[in-house]
Amino acid sequence: MKNKNFYVSDAQSENEYDAIVVGSGISGGWAAKELTEKGLKTLVLERGRDVKHGEDYKTEHMPPWEAEFRGRGDRKLFEEEYPRQLRSDVINEYNYHFFVNDKKHPYQTDEEDPFLWVRGYQVGGRSLTWGRQVYRWSDLDFEANAKEGIAVDWPIRYEDIAPWYDYVEEFIGVSGQEEGLDHLPDGNFLPPMDLNCVEQDVKEKIENNFEYRYLTIGRCAVLTEPHKGRGACHYCGPCSRGCSVGAYFSSQSSTLPAARNTGNLTLRPNSIVDSIIYDKETNRAKGVRVIDRLTKETKEYHAKVIFLNASALGSTQIMLNSTSDAFPNGIANSSGVMGHYLMDHHFRVGASGTFEGYEDRYYKGNRPNGIYIPRFRNINEETKHDEFIRGYGFQGRASRASWGRGTSMDGFGKEFKEKLRDPGPWNFGMTAFGEILPYEDNHVTLSEETDEWGLPQLEIHASINENEEKMREDMAETAAEMLEAAGGKNVSPYFGEYLVGEGIHEMGTARMGRDPETSVLNAHNQTHDVPNLFVTDGACMTSAACQNPSLTYMALTARAVDYAVDELNKGNI
Amino acid sequence: MNRREALKQLALLSGGALSLTTVAGIMGGCSAETNGGAGFTPQTLSQAQNELVTQFSERIIPATDTPGAKAAGVNQFIDHMLTNWNTEEERKHFLEGLDRIDQLSNQKFDDVFAELGEADQITVMEELEQEAQNNSDADLKPIFSMMKEFTVVGYYTSEIGASQELVSDIVPGYYDACMPYSEVGRAYS
Repeated sequence: MKNKNFYVSDAQSENEYDAIVVGSGISGGWAAKELTEKGLKTLVLERGRDVKHGEDYKTEHMPPWEAEFRGRGDRKLFEEEYPRQLRSDVINEYNYHFFVNDKKHPYQTDEEDPFLWVRGYQVGGRSLTWGRQVYRWSDLDFEANAKEGIAVDWPIRYEDIAPWYDYVEEFIGVSGQEEGLDHLPDGNFLPPMDLNCVEQDVKEKIENNFEYRYLTIGRCAVLTEPHKGRGACHYCGPCSRGCSVGAYFSSQSSTLPAARNTGNLTLRPNSIVDSIIYDKETNRAKGVRVIDRLTKETKEYHAKVIFLNASALGSTQIMLNSTSDAFPNGIANSSGVMGHYLMDHHFRVGASGTFEGYEDRYYKGNRPNGIYIPRFRNINEETKHDEFIRGYGFQGRASRASWGRGTSMDGFGKEFKEKLRDPGPWNFGMTAFGEILPYEDNHVTLSEETDEWGLPQLEIHASINENEEKMREDMAETAAEMLEAAGGKNVSPYFGEYLVGEGIHEMGTARMGRDPETSVLNAHNQTHDVPNLFVTDGACMTSAACQNPSLTYMALTARAVDYAVDELNKGNI
Repeated sequence: MNRREALKQLALLSGGALSLTTVAGIMGGCSAETNGGAGFTPQTLSQAQNELVTQFSERIIPATDTPGAKAAGVNQFIDHMLTNWNTEEERKHFLEGLDRIDQLSNQKFDDVFAELGEADQITVMEELEQEAQNNSDADLKPIFSMMKEFTVVGYYTSEIGASQELVSDIVPGYYDACMPYSEVGRAYS
C-alpha cells in the first residue's frame, strides 16, 4: 500500500521549472527539444542510467571474436534475468545493456498468454535500439474507427499532422523513395538506399502481377548523407549497439543535443517518477514525485506544464498511480478508460523463398534497412477483404546465405570448407506487421505487487481476436503468393506464435478522442481533465494502423508542445 | 526478418531434452603431437578429450591455404561454451558423445580417435555422420552434429575464420547493393 506522507515537500528553487518531461526516449527527447527551443526551462526526468553519445557505445564495432560468447550472449544470464526481453529477438551480447533486466523490473501478466513488455531504461530509452522504420499515417488510418464504428474517432485528421510530419522528418533525416501513394504519404526524403538485385527483380514481378501492391525500400531514420551535423551511415549494420557518428536518429544523436544547445535543459537520470502531484485548488498538475533509483530518496519537482513520455505503459502506470480525492482512479481518468484499449502490431507471419539467376552478384555493406510492401488490403472498394477489416504491410529483405548454413550442410573437410568460402543461395524473406484493433479487454491495471522502489507493478492482459486471426491467415497466403509470382523456389509460408507486445509497438491506454467521457486526451494530447498535463507517447494512440508508430509520436509531440506553449503564453494553462 | 535469426542462433548450440547418465570414461593415449593451444588448460574437457576435440574439429575444417579449426582455437571455444554456456545435460550428452567417438574408433581400428591416421579418422567420421543423419530428430543432437555446429560457429566467429578464410568488413564505409561477386571473391563473415 502507498503512503503519501512518506514524501516531504521541499519547494526550493532548484526544484522549480517551466516544464517537466518524463522520459528521454523517442518522444521525450522531442518534447525536450521543442520546449527548450521555445525558451522554457525544462527538466527531463529519466528513470534509467545516463548513456553518453559515443562514449557509452562500448560494443559499437566489436568483432565476434572479442565477445565472450561470440555474440550469442550469456545464455544462463539471459534465461534467468532477461527471459522476456530475450523472447523479443532483438537482444544479444552486444546490446543487452540497453534492455531492462526482467528480474529487476517485474510486471504481472498471464502465464499462459503473457504480454511481452520490452523496455530500455536509460537516457535515450528505446531510441537507441529501435528499428528506425518511419512511415506516415493517412486518413485511411485516422478515419477508420469512425467509418467502421470501432472504439472512438480520432480527434485529428491527416491535415492536422502533415505539417508536423514535415517538420520532424526535416530535422531527423529520413531516407526513402517517393511512391505517390495516397494511403502511405511521401515525406521529404534524403536519397533512398538501393534495393539489391533480387529485391529489384521481386519488386518488378510483384508490381506487374498484382494491382495495388508495391515494393519500396524501407523509409528509415538513417542518414544517407550528412545532415545537421550528423554523419552519414557507414553501413556497419548493427545499429542497436549505438552509433558514434549519429547516423541513425536517437535522442543522443539528434534531439538531446539540440535541447542542450539552448541552455534550458536539465537532464536528471536515475529519477523514477512515482506520481503526479495534483493541486485541487487550481485544477493543475503541480509537479511530480520522484524516487532516486540508486538512493531511493524522494524529491518533488514543480512546473507549469508536464509532458508524459515514459512510454505507452510507463506513462499510464504513472497516471494510474497518481490518485487523489478528485481522481481516485488515477489522474485525468474521469472517463475510466485509462489503461484500456492496449494495442501492438501482430507479426511472426510471412514467407521466404530462394531465388536463382544472381549467383554472380553480391553486395558491399550491411544496409540497416529492408524492403517495405505497403498495405494493400481494404484500401479501397476493390481491395476489400470479406473476412477482416484494416490491413498489414510487409518488411523483409533479400540476402545471400553465409557460413551459418554450414551447421546443417552435409560433409566435412576441405571440400566443405571450400563450399562455405562462397556465399550461399539468395533468399528473400518477409514478415507482415498487422493492425490490432483497440479492444477494451486489452488493458493494464496496478497490481498489489510492488517493485523494489515500492511502486505498484503493472498487471497487463492482452490477446488478439478473430479479426487478427483472419488477417494472419491472409498474411501467410499473400506472402507466399507474391514470392511464387516473383519466381521464388522452395517458397515456404511461415506462421509463428505471436505474443502481444512482441512487436515492441505497444500503443493506447490513454487514448485521444473527442469526448472527455470516452477518452483521456484531446486533439492536442492534453488531458481533458487537467489542462497542463500532456501525454504524447504511444499511450495516446486511438487506433494502431499497421505502420511503425514512432514517427507519429514525434509529430504529435512537436505539435502538442507548440499548442501547450501557446496556451501557456495566453494564460490558459 | 533477422529478429528471428538471433533466437535461432541462440538455440543453435543447445541440444534439447533428456540424455542417459553415464560417467564419462577416462581415456588413455594422449598424444603430445598437438595440444590445441599452448598454455591452455581446459575447464571441462580432460586433456585427452581436448586432444580428441582438437583433432576432430580440424578434420571438419582443416588447414588449407588458410589456417583451420585448430589454429583458430576451436577446441578452446568448445571448452568455454561447455563450461559456461551449455546446460549440464547438454554438457554430459556431449562428453558421452566423445566416448562414442572413441568407442567406434576402438571397434574399427583398435585405438582411440586421436591416435588414428587421417584415413581411419575420416572413416570413423563418415560413420558418425551417417549415425547423426539417421538420428536427426533426436532430442539431443548426436555428437557429430554437435561437433559440427560447435566447429562451424567457433571457426567462423574467430579472427582467423572471419577475416582470413572469409571477408570481415566491419566498417564498409559505403553500400553497394548489387556488384559482381568476383570483386569480393569470398563470402562475408
